[in-house]
Amino acid sequence: MKNGRIAIPSNGKGGLDATRSGHFGHCDVFTFIDVKNGEISQISTIENQEHVQGGCMVPVNLLASHNVNALIVGGIGMRPLMGFKQAGIDVYHDTERPEIKPVVEDLIAGKLPQIKEDQVCGGGGGQVNHA
Amino acid sequence: MMNILLAGRDKASMTALKAGLEENDVQTAWAESGSYALSIIAEKDFDLVVTDEGLGDMTGLEFIKTIIALKPMVNCAVVSSLLPDEFHEASEGLGVLMQLPVNPGYEYAEELLEHLKKILNLEVGAA
Repeated sequence: MKNGRIAIPSNGKGGLDATRSGHFGHCDVFTFIDVKNGEISQISTIENQEHVQGGCMVPVNLLASHNVNALIVGGIGMRPLMGFKQAGIDVYHDTERPEIKPVVEDLIAGKLPQIKEDQVCGGGGGQVNHA
Repeated sequence: MMNILLAGRDKASMTALKAGLEENDVQTAWAESGSYALSIIAEKDFDLVVTDEGLGDMTGLEFIKTIIALKPMVNCAVVSSLLPDEFHEASEGLGVLMQLPVNPGYEYAEELLEHLKKILNLEVGAA
C-alpha cells in the first residue's frame, strides 16, 4: 500500500505497539495507520461501538465513515466481509501474529494476503480465531 | 415507516407476528419462497427480512447467505427450531439479528423491533 488508511481491531488503547483484538466485532478500539508514499505518517485510534447481536454493519459503517481503505483481521464473518467489500474496504488476513506492527508492515510491503471467502468464520469457512 | 419482508412456505405460521408488527406501524410484505423473496429484495430495500427455517426451494440460512452476497446491509431474523447453541453454530458469521421460535407470537414483534431499532440507531451513529 502506498497511500491510504489501515484499520486494525485492537486491545486496550490501541496504537502501533498494541496487540490485535481476538474478535473483530468486540474489539476495544480500532487503530488507524495512515500511510503516505509507503511510509506510516500518522497513528490514531477510535473506540468501537457497542456490539449487539446482528449489528455486524455497525463497524462497517464506522470504518467507512473514517475513510478506511484496508482492514486487517484474524477472522471475520461472511456478512461483515461482504459489507466491507460493498463499502470498498479491502480485508486482509493474518491468523498468526498478535502484534499490530508486523502485520501493518507486511501490508504496506504488499506481503499480506486478502481474506478469501472460504476463510470466513462459520458457514463452512476455515477455522480461524476471530480478530 | 419500517418495511419488513416475511418469507416462508406457511403464511399462517407468521400471522401473529405480522399482526404485531403492523400494530407497531410496520409495513409488511410476504414471499412464499426463497427465490421470490430474493427477487423482491433485489428491487426494494427492507429494514428487516424475517425468514422461516424452510422456504421450500432453500433453507432459511441458505436464503440469508444469498441475501448477504447481494445486500449485506439487510438485517435478517430467522424462525428456527434449533436449540440456541445449535442455532448459534449454524448461523455463525451470518450476522442474524435474532432467532425466533416456530410460530412466533404477537409478543415477539415488539422485541424484534426494539432490537432492530437499536441496531439502526447504532448504524446511523457510526456513519
